[in-house]
Amino acid sequence: MQEDFHYYATYCAAFLAGYSHEESLDIAYSAQFVDLCSRSFLSKIHGPSDAATTQLSLELMDARTDILGLQDITRIWASFHFLPKDLYAEKKGRTRRYMYKYRLICGPNGSLVKDTVTLAKDKPVQSVGIAMHVLADTWAHSNFAGTPSLVINNTDYDFTEILGTGENKSERAIKFRHSTSVPDDLENGIFTNSITQTNENSIMNLGHGRAGHLPDYCFMRYKYVPAWGDYTVITKDNPSDYRKAFCQMIYAMKFIRGESEKFELETYDYDAIENCSSRIQEILEKRQLIASDDWKIFGEELSGESIADFELEKYTKEYIDASKDSKKDTFLGKFIDGAIAQKSMVTNRIYKSKNVLAGFSKEIFRIGDAEIG
Amino acid sequence: MTKFQRIKSFFAALIIFLLGIDLIGFPNGSSSRVLSLLALALTFSGLNTLAYFFNMARFMVNGRLILFKGLVLLDLGLFSVSILSVPNIYILLYLATIHAFAGLVEILRAMESRRVGAGSWKLKFFHGLVDMIIALSCIVFFKKENTIGIVYGFGLIYSAICRMISCFRKTTLTYIQ
Repeated sequence: MQEDFHYYATYCAAFLAGYSHEESLDIAYSAQFVDLCSRSFLSKIHGPSDAATTQLSLELMDARTDILGLQDITRIWASFHFLPKDLYAEKKGRTRRYMYKYRLICGPNGSLVKDTVTLAKDKPVQSVGIAMHVLADTWAHSNFAGTPSLVINNTDYDFTEILGTGENKSERAIKFRHSTSVPDDLENGIFTNSITQTNENSIMNLGHGRAGHLPDYCFMRYKYVPAWGDYTVITKDNPSDYRKAFCQMIYAMKFIRGESEKFELETYDYDAIENCSSRIQEILEKRQLIASDDWKIFGEELSGESIADFELEKYTKEYIDASKDSKKDTFLGKFIDGAIAQKSMVTNRIYKSKNVLAGFSKEIFRIGDAEIG
Repeated sequence: MTKFQRIKSFFAALIIFLLGIDLIGFPNGSSSRVLSLLALALTFSGLNTLAYFFNMARFMVNGRLILFKGLVLLDLGLFSVSILSVPNIYILLYLATIHAFAGLVEILRAMESRRVGAGSWKLKFFHGLVDMIIALSCIVFFKKENTIGIVYGFGLIYSAICRMISCFRKTTLTYIQ
């Protein structure tokens, strides 16, 4: 997903869930910031590197892929962008090494989504933003894993785009190229993807690189064959998935605000968008590289307030100028706490499932101010 | 990393380190030694790829390509053993390409770090520059047989040190509930 959904659509969802304009802006900022809080950024503001929620492309090129490097990459990408759906999934006849990777495949409505949303309850809005980023990405990034893996994240070369709906439905083959400097050609169906790398742990085999940006476009409907699926064709309907993501975010934020006692999986607040359903569908179906402008106009109509564009440096000065003791009370300080909590929780769950790919984890129970190891 | 993995990784690094010292200390006849190392690496890589196929890639769509890759690598490795002499220029060009690419990535990383204001860019830039100088040395001194041993030796030592450091790195992430 891109800035259009993580920032502007998240703002709309937060506002529809009952947050004020200012709170919605903070939630949207935090959700989008997950895609930018790299180690390079944290080094610049002298923040803890453990709080990194993403890796820049050249950071990735520099990343090591020995077991420690892989664990570091997995902690970041599985915790924030490719939340595993089922850590205890079974598949007959597979080796243990294969299953370590297979169980990290991302998907919506897994138990970790519930854990992520519950973790954000009674926490600052920064944690809510982080949770909304993670939740939304489970829809966009489903069927790929947040760890480098050829056997999971590779795909067959043939992708088919589904154009139109109903009687106007047609199909055409998608062409791929490997030029990142040229934007995707939506009209002619030419997209950029990553080159095949036959090394299992090559960084090029992280996430949805083989499908290019197809999962990030809300209008896209396509068919393909993932490496892990025994030649089964998967049909991905992004407009439908993004709609569910939007309604699940509203439902989750209402739970976080205390409007409902339980957060149930497979539940979507369609009632909240009853009056604007066709408008949202129109945005989701529009063929464009990024839908920020449309979501922004919609958000401003909803709240009657102006939505400032996302600005990376907005809170850096506040964090840098704060004394050591008061850093945790700044906007970025609260984001950092939320990011470390999310990463620790996911790492712990993966470790407890006897999967070594996210590293070792130790639980510390906090009772009052005391920590019991 | 488990204790066993740490011990295994440390001893592997120690062997690589000693090989590097040997190549730098006794560069005479390094061509055949470097070639032997390459043959060993290719054979090992071929066997490793075949093991990867049987463990994982056979469950993957189009995984048979991995089987073919493993067989070709193994074949090349065994073939390399049978070659007694190869012109130095080929080995040096191989080393030059590896170092030039690594150097370019480091310099690009340094530029990116500098753009976002991170303090570590100078060290990265220096690493990249050193890699570039090594690549250039491979081409400038291609007529001297000792160059291969010295350059390859330094590469092995660097790799061994990185591996040793990773054996002692902290690996536990604390989960606070």
